[in-house]
Amino acid sequence: MPGGVVVEQLVKRFGDFVALAGVDFVAPEGRITGLLGPNGAGKTTAIRILTTLLQADGGRASVAGYDVAREPQLVRAVIGLTGQYAAVDEDLTGRENLVLVGRLGRMPKRAATDRAAELLELFSLSHAADRVLRTYSGGMRRRLDLAASLMFAPPVLFLDEPTTGLDPRSRLELWDVIAELRRRGTTIVLTTQYLEEADRLADSISVIDAGKIIAEGTADELKRKVGGDVLDLTVSERIDTDVAATTLARAFEVEERDLTVDHELGHVLVPVGAGSVALVEAVRVLDGAGVRVADLGVRRPSLDDVFLSLTGHVAEEARTEAPAPRTRRPIA
Amino acid sequence: MVDVDMAVVAAPTELVSPEARAALPPARVIADVGLVAGRNLRKVLRNTRLIVFSTIQPLMQLILFAYVFAAVAHIPGISYKDFVVPAVLVQTMTFAAMGSGVGIANDMQTGMVDRFRSLPIARSAFLVGRTTSDSLRLAIQCVILIAAALLIGFRFRNGIAAAAGMGVVLVMFGVALTAFSAWVGLSVGDPETVQAAVFIPILPLIFTSSAFAPVSRLPGWMQPLARANPITSAIDTARGLALGDQKLYAISHVHLGTASVHFVLWWIGIVAVFTVLAVRRYGAG
Repeated sequence: MPGGVVVEQLVKRFGDFVALAGVDFVAPEGRITGLLGPNGAGKTTAIRILTTLLQADGGRASVAGYDVAREPQLVRAVIGLTGQYAAVDEDLTGRENLVLVGRLGRMPKRAATDRAAELLELFSLSHAADRVLRTYSGGMRRRLDLAASLMFAPPVLFLDEPTTGLDPRSRLELWDVIAELRRRGTTIVLTTQYLEEADRLADSISVIDAGKIIAEGTADELKRKVGGDVLDLTVSERIDTDVAATTLARAFEVEERDLTVDHELGHVLVPVGAGSVALVEAVRVLDGAGVRVADLGVRRPSLDDVFLSLTGHVAEEARTEAPAPRTRRPIA
Repeated sequence: MVDVDMAVVAAPTELVSPEARAALPPARVIADVGLVAGRNLRKVLRNTRLIVFSTIQPLMQLILFAYVFAAVAHIPGISYKDFVVPAVLVQTMTFAAMGSGVGIANDMQTGMVDRFRSLPIARSAFLVGRTTSDSLRLAIQCVILIAAALLIGFRFRNGIAAAAGMGVVLVMFGVALTAFSAWVGLSVGDPETVQAAVFIPILPLIFTSSAFAPVSRLPGWMQPLARANPITSAIDTARGLALGDQKLYAISHVHLGTASVHFVLWWIGIVAVFTVLAVRRYGAG
């Protein structure tokens, strides 16, 4: 039986709203698989089904070879879960929280106590081990939450936006721990809205939007799919933004909707083929159109660019209205 | 934290197969219930403000009813204090039981319910653990209030065994209502809303019961409602055990036997219906 996580045609509806519209992905054993998508894309729903908190309406999923629907108790015996908010008890101390989870996870009292002390040390929480969690900061709670998920060293770990709301330092610390867990052979499914996080940690990335996987691959593969480089222009006068965008779109024969235009900052991003040639061409046409350039450069596309070109909207944006059908660029 | 030995992160401290970890022999289920109940009790004990307020409030009610209401209300053949104390105790258990749903909603909001549901523990451990710790909490509160009632002059007129029986009836009634409260808590999932929602049926039931006046003195249209009211059945049973069957009959025209049969039927009904509803809610997530 395959280890890791296998998801086939997973469907979940909430009333009329289709949260998952047939999701497929594989998270290979011992690797970090990133599930990348905006708010409301279905990431958390997928994680809740995989961790037996929610039942799917269709499709199949297995974790470490155990079927999520038919063998939920076995799935629970091999997983750890860290959610978007810290699932820890405010009225208990850090140590008590960890020991409770360890003992509920079937560790003998002594082993749970020892393990709790180790993890508190590792997550720099030893000094606060015997304080109730009311006195903890947000970052401390998150670290304790992750420590709780690691109590009985589960072979499969689900991290649902583990760094959302954390300060940059706490985020970097958590990244170190996650990378170390991978080195030790833990299978990790990581959801995130942060492209940088997926780029940095994930061995492979599945991009999810409106309940569907719309692209898969390593960060590099995804970047390559966008094709070529990105021309990055900032104009001196913001009123020139539109002229610059139109001029560049015409010069490089791209649809205007494939450009990223920010009027506030006077910023234009254009997908181009070969960067160095494009740069010369861009200078020529912009000069011809009388656009004053503040900054112009060529760079490799970031995952942000990938996301934008795949979904038609930027990654961090929270979706408030119902998802509208959107045109997508075909991915080779 | 990076300088610490990272080996700890994923070092398995023991080798337990998934099958062994997932198995649920009865001893394990009992241990899980104990762990959850112990955790709940620890929370209660840590919450000093809650302990103080939830003790002072019923004490004030006791004094209000025993002294202030006693000055205007007269029940023939019995002091109003003796009449009203069992009712105040039932009311206190009722209110205390509502804390169960608030606690559960709090656990849902903080993600603790998800934490428990994703662990390989018995599915029943969360709700049974909650009931276990609530029973203890209610029993302690009951003992404190009976002691306070005795201090202000309330007396059992029916012997010590019946007095103990009253204590059991009070706690039993409270525990049954924790099932209702748990169901509301799981359905609503937000502590403040739960707090408001549970009292919508509870307050009218208390006011249309035999708590503060005998049913025969209530307005005519209210009397059938009052007789069919589960809270009346608990109060009449508690009163009968505290004062004796004769006094109960003189006040309420109900024998202790009849009242206790009503009470037991209501108890079974409430426990059965709301346990099923709560378990279904918990399972559905």
